[in-house]
Amino acid sequence: MNKGEVRLVSLTKRFGDFVAVDAIDLEIPPGGFFSLLGPSGCGKTTTLRMIGGFEQPTSGQVLLDGLDMAGTPPSKRPVNTVFQSYALFPHLRVFDNVAFGLRRQRVGRAEIRRRVGEVLELVQLGALARRKPGQLSGGQQQRVALARALVVKPAVLLLDEPLGALDAKLRRELQVELKQLQTQVGITFAYVTHDQEEALTMSDRIAVLNRGRVEQASSPRDLYEEPANAFVADFLGVSNLMEATVLGPSGAGVEVRLGDGVSVEAQRGELSTRGPTKVVIRPERIQVEAAGATGPNRIAGMVTNVVYLGSGLQLTIHLAFGRTVTALVANTDEDTAGAWTPGTPVTCHLPSTALRVLANTEVSAPAPEAGRVGGSEPATHVP
Amino acid sequence: MKLVGRFGTLSLNLYFWLFVAFLFAPLVVLVIFSMNNSMTPTLPLSGFTTKWFHQAFSNGELTGAVVRSAAIALTTAVFATALGIMASIGLMALRGRALTFAIAALLLPLVVPYISLAVGLLILLQTFGAGPSLTAVVLGHAVITLPFAILVLLPRLRSLDPAMNEAALDLGASAFGAFRLITLPLIVPALVSSGIICFVTSFDEFAIASFLAPSGQPTYPIFLYASARTPALLPDVIAIGAIVIAASLLLVVIAEAGRRWAERRLVGAGAAVQSALAEASVPLIAHR
Repeated sequence: MNKGEVRLVSLTKRFGDFVAVDAIDLEIPPGGFFSLLGPSGCGKTTTLRMIGGFEQPTSGQVLLDGLDMAGTPPSKRPVNTVFQSYALFPHLRVFDNVAFGLRRQRVGRAEIRRRVGEVLELVQLGALARRKPGQLSGGQQQRVALARALVVKPAVLLLDEPLGALDAKLRRELQVELKQLQTQVGITFAYVTHDQEEALTMSDRIAVLNRGRVEQASSPRDLYEEPANAFVADFLGVSNLMEATVLGPSGAGVEVRLGDGVSVEAQRGELSTRGPTKVVIRPERIQVEAAGATGPNRIAGMVTNVVYLGSGLQLTIHLAFGRTVTALVANTDEDTAGAWTPGTPVTCHLPSTALRVLANTEVSAPAPEAGRVGGSEPATHVP
Repeated sequence: MKLVGRFGTLSLNLYFWLFVAFLFAPLVVLVIFSMNNSMTPTLPLSGFTTKWFHQAFSNGELTGAVVRSAAIALTTAVFATALGIMASIGLMALRGRALTFAIAALLLPLVVPYISLAVGLLILLQTFGAGPSLTAVVLGHAVITLPFAILVLLPRLRSLDPAMNEAALDLGASAFGAFRLITLPLIVPALVSSGIICFVTSFDEFAIASFLAPSGQPTYPIFLYASARTPALLPDVIAIGAIVIAASLLLVVIAEAGRRWAERRLVGAGAAVQSALAEASVPLIAHR
């Protein structure tokens, strides 16, 4: 029985001299919502296409429920793809578009009608079966593409940035719908996107890709709270990445010198690191206090910019030692909005439990297996 | 945006209408004299008659030549279009230098003089022990019309979203199935245009036909050339000429209407605008 588990073993794709996908090892667990996240050109779409069978790997394997897919054409693989451009057949009606796969399987007329009807209801397009794709809106076209791929009951559904062409509001609605659909249908979804917010809200697990390699593969929470390196930290949300020097153990963590002489304590991250490295702290963890406040991990600064987000305030604060950080303050009461204005002196409290030390990539650390299920192992690359 | 001043616009208009007159005057004259009651096409006109049409249709040699040309042209159109589609699909898979080279080779007949091609083809046939035949004419015409077929079909193929073909494969279609069910219906307007331009080119073609057609089986252009020496045949020839013009006009109108209908059915194909420009020009070129 097809569980829908995908395993990529040392998967590589080269186009001439250019390495698009560099020996990726990845496990996509069955039945969940898995995202491949990364900037343009990181190899996520190429990886997806290799799973679908549209590109042949230069080396390595694609294993579907344990079976090597080498030599198997797309028409014979138990996976289906929702393309970025939807790729609907413009000369066929919605019904015929969705029925296409079933007809290739020689399914009977009555059963085709039943299954197409069911899946169109599932994506809420029941009334539009007789229309042609050119007469549908972008959101509706996307649903037809989804229905067309789902009706043939694949073990894995591959989605290549399906929401890219839609406006923000529609995209948010469809994100929720897609997530609900996946839970309802139970099929493994492999979703490619460059939008980190999208990946965070929808996925059970995310693999962050950069330049053909997996930087980190884990749950959204682990990726956000415990990024393995500067790239992951910076790609997911604001990271307030800062140059720092780890001096040695201190209290429950390590003593870190920021810039020129400000010492703070950090209790998260790679605490065994020594010497020059980077630290990160999320904007919502920075506590902005009145100027002159005392205590550990407090740094004096000045507000240089305020952005009113409605749900909160985004403050840009210039710190005493020369760095600028972004802090997020919740809109707790009506007076919050007026409390900080550009030019206001403040004190930034960087709680040691929120300050995270990143591994020093100059040091030759042993390279643990990337993307192991159940952990958030960083994919450090031995130079 | 105004590119020319008022004098420029006037000159442009004048030039355009003079050009149109120059292009169509011979055709108009032909039609007039096809109904003129005189053995020679001279002024003043001698009265209306339809007898030349009756005479022309009872001239077995003349009608035979026209039918022969039409049959050859039809076969050429189908053959060249089929080859053109195959060539275009092949070209889609090429890049860079390979693509440039392949296209240059396939479009070569456009720049080779037909007379040279005809002589070469005849010699080639004789090397294999064959001689002039109508099949040879079809082959020769297919060679010279294939470039036109490619020039019409390749852009249309390129305008299709490649993901559509991949989607068809993804859903279980074979490579040929995907072509038959998805690609082919979407390029019908281009197929029609290709057919028309190949037909017309073959119908009009003289050099290759004169070398490769058997002596007792002239094509229409060959017959016209030969009949120039027989003044008695002139009215017949003019009458048939008028009919050919009328038939071409009809063909172009029907084909263009058909193409637009096919275009309309492909709502949302996305290529509708670009191809309309490319394919609208084909019937205009074809109707000379």
